[in-house]
Amino acid sequence: MISCTEFILAYNEIFNYLHEKHGKEAVVDLWKYISDEFLQNLDELVAKKGIQGMKEYWSRTLEEEGADYEIKATEDEFVIEMYKCPSVGILRRTKHIKVYPYYCEHCKVLYSRVVEKYGFDYNLEIIDTNAGRCRLTIRKKR
Amino acid sequence: MSVHKDFHGALCCCLEYIYKKYGEKELDMCLRQIARNVYKPLIESLKSRGLAALEEHWRRIFTIEGGDFDLHYDSDVLVLNVKKCPAIWHMRERGYRIFEKFCEHCRIVNDEICKAAGYNSSVDYDQDAGSCTQKFWRRREG
Repeated sequence: MISCTEFILAYNEIFNYLHEKHGKEAVVDLWKYISDEFLQNLDELVAKKGIQGMKEYWSRTLEEEGADYEIKATEDEFVIEMYKCPSVGILRRTKHIKVYPYYCEHCKVLYSRVVEKYGFDYNLEIIDTNAGRCRLTIRKKR
Repeated sequence: MSVHKDFHGALCCCLEYIYKKYGEKELDMCLRQIARNVYKPLIESLKSRGLAALEEHWRRIFTIEGGDFDLHYDSDVLVLNVKKCPAIWHMRERGYRIFEKFCEHCRIVNDEICKAAGYNSSVDYDQDAGSCTQKFWRRREG
């Protein structure tokens, strides 16, 4: 069994494999597939509860992953201030692997496809890929 | 230690995508690349320390994940009995779709790790039951 504790490394290696064999577009297609086929739980929460659903989803997942982050949620805006992304931390600490150079972009593709369906704008600002620092801002469209 | 078991579902989704889009051979190749690169330290440890390295690895990850398992030696064969696979059970509890060839990844990844270290392995699984028996032994020369 590939343990869930080893998933980030396997995920990164799948990106490397697909990119080397089929190019970056193949990696982006995989991300779209994951978004459409696997993120049903996020989809349902956003459909039913909007920003509150986003807060529920990311609070649970980021706690389980041990992230250093802050969430700000208002009536029409949801922000994750990520100080230390746990996935990036694992990749940077694991010296024997090759980090996929576009790794952080998966968050742009995976989540934007879900929230944009429900009338939100999605913006992910990747601030420092080495430190795992980014800011995700989701706003209700006016 | 907090673990994010939904990663099992994400991995399952990735494997399903590669199988559907590129076929069985590509999935096999991708998993073997994961085995060689992600598990490089385990391969080195298996080479230098023998089956004790694998025994420790399995005990650690199945304990972290709360799996129902036992490990023992049958003569010079290390036997891992997984009575309740954490990955299968988590995905089932969450209602995730489980790729019909999901358990194959254990057989392929184990095979590649063992081959690289001079060992053999077998996996006899029942995906519906979420159980399997995995065996590991030193390859005999000649």
